[in-house]
Amino acid sequence: MRSLLLTGASVALCLAASAYSAAAEDTIKIGVVAAESGSFVSAGHTLPAGVSLAVKEINDAGGVKVGDKTYKIELLKRDDRTDVSTAIAATQELVRDDKVAAIFGSESHDFTLAMAKITQPAKVIHFAGNSTLAKVLNPTSVAPGGENHYLFQSEPQEFQRSGSTARGVLGLLEPLVGHPLKKSVVIVGNDATGQFLTSYYVKALKAEGQEVPEVISYPPDTTDFSPFLTRAKSLNPDVVHFWYNGDSTLTALPQALELGVAPSYFLFGVDPGIWKERGLTADVPVAMSCVPICWGESSNANAKTYFANYFAAGAPKGVTSSVSLLYYDYVHFLAEAWEKAGTLDPDATVAAIESLHHKGVVSDNLSFNTSHQVTHATEVCAAAPGGAITCAMQQPPAEEPK
Amino acid sequence: MDTAILIQQVLNGLSIASVITLIAVGVTLIFGLTGIINFAHGEFLMIGSFATWIVVQAGFGFVPALVIAVLAVAAMGFALERGLFRFTLTRPTNGFIVSLGLIVVLQHVVIFFYGPNQKSIPRPLSAVWDVGGVRIASVRVMVILVTIAVVAATFVMITRSRYGRALRAAVEDRDTAALMGIPVRRYITGVFVLGSALAGLGGALLIALFPVTPFTGGTMVMKGFAVALMGGLGNLTGAVVAGLILGIVEGFSAGYGFSEWTDAYSFGLMILVLLVRPNGLFGGTSGPKMA
Repeated sequence: MRSLLLTGASVALCLAASAYSAAAEDTIKIGVVAAESGSFVSAGHTLPAGVSLAVKEINDAGGVKVGDKTYKIELLKRDDRTDVSTAIAATQELVRDDKVAAIFGSESHDFTLAMAKITQPAKVIHFAGNSTLAKVLNPTSVAPGGENHYLFQSEPQEFQRSGSTARGVLGLLEPLVGHPLKKSVVIVGNDATGQFLTSYYVKALKAEGQEVPEVISYPPDTTDFSPFLTRAKSLNPDVVHFWYNGDSTLTALPQALELGVAPSYFLFGVDPGIWKERGLTADVPVAMSCVPICWGESSNANAKTYFANYFAAGAPKGVTSSVSLLYYDYVHFLAEAWEKAGTLDPDATVAAIESLHHKGVVSDNLSFNTSHQVTHATEVCAAAPGGAITCAMQQPPAEEPK
Repeated sequence: MDTAILIQQVLNGLSIASVITLIAVGVTLIFGLTGIINFAHGEFLMIGSFATWIVVQAGFGFVPALVIAVLAVAAMGFALERGLFRFTLTRPTNGFIVSLGLIVVLQHVVIFFYGPNQKSIPRPLSAVWDVGGVRIASVRVMVILVTIAVVAATFVMITRSRYGRALRAAVEDRDTAALMGIPVRRYITGVFVLGSALAGLGGALLIALFPVTPFTGGTMVMKGFAVALMGGLGNLTGAVVAGLILGIVEGFSAGYGFSEWTDAYSFGLMILVLLVRPNGLFGGTSGPKMA
């Protein structure tokens, strides 16, 4: 009798274990690592919001059909607190303990490079919306066996992003100012990303015929921009370009208007939605650019539905809410790749991603080049002194300016 | 050198100085007179800004919002001193760690309720005067004048009033002061509440000038401590003069030097001053002797 009971219990345990195992096999885990606190939070919190929305949409539609099996996606979120060590620890946890199949993040170039050191040897598919990964992504490094074979850059290369932005800004501002724009001063936060991005943006401005007498760098976390702006004013610019950090840019603009620094301004990474929500006004034209599509006013037909769903899901209306689109589209892209590959095998998944043309929000034809980098347009808008806002999707230049 | 640009940079420096000075006065009072190292003082300032924003959002004007912010942060200071810092008075290191923990807690409480994004209010004063090519924003003038008035009132209270004299006696020798009937513990609470109220005021004035986030406090408090140490702990005159020096140095380094080094200039100056004059420019207390 006793042995019969033991046998029964063993069979029950085995059945339970196999049921658990089947349930576990029906789920694909993916992770997102982003700054949900700390100084990058305004961009960082958009990543989990965008990825969550895509995961919900995929699961609500039935899941991902891989071969003859359908999987639900389980999302694991980690806050890197704008701290690179925390980002590394979170990535290690997701890769080694949670065994995720893919990771999305982070919003910062340096963090992504550190995370890739963990995701790539582990063959974890890694999407990063940084425009700055050209130094590590090339046809050799992403080829099978290459050190970044599983890493994908979901934002256009910086020369493309800077090129489309510079062209769009000058093109929209010039008719509003009413005379040719010849001299540009760039004001930028002095950190690794600011320095990197600025080198491309200055090249892009010069390619558009601008004289750039000075790039004025300010320490990160600056709140009083008046000394920097007074310095810019002494150079008599036609346009002051507030480059790179949307929050700083919004802090600086009212001070620039008070000081009467220039006849026109450009705010990088500021959405017209924020401009309208805060009731901002200026007596001179102000251009804005979104990464990649503006939520407050867009000329892109796909954007309206996406942002309605995004904000309905509880995401806040921030300066850079549109950064979420550098991640949202690629969760759907990845799901499509798994379905196309018919397997979750990382190498087969990469091959599928490389061959796919995905219809996303940002573009109807998203695909990766031979260096695992996407190309798409950037939206640029301009607010006229009367308050009217005009937006246009600006295609990137084909080649990097010399 | 363009004279208008030069004068503009001097004015820029003065307005930076006034914000830093307001923070430094609170830091120097609390740190210098009670020995409490409150690194969360910047978060007190941030809460003052958010309180102002909440009241303005509710449809009230800037002045009532400022008053409510000051009272709210003073009340918070009272609760935290009685509930937390009081138990660390004999072990300042514990108080320091508690204040570091408070930074994270206060930031996350604010993020939980109001999100991580910038908050701003309409400028309480929008006029900008153009005097010979120099642009003077009325809101900055208001901040400078309020700072002067508040610092002067605090100075009179600390140096002239019976309360201030008793307080300074308690700093010199806590035990003897207690034997003379001075309620030392209550005075410590009073100073902490006063410093907190000043942080609340600083926060209200800050959001009148610039948008704030839950993380605004960090940078400001570092400069507040730098100025408090440079001027001499517990020395209000020192805090004001050091704040002015730091503001002018920042303004001019941003305007004429390597602009990205602005913070390095200020902290380099602080290191230099402390090497030459360890007690600060004007000397100060060495902090109260712990019981």
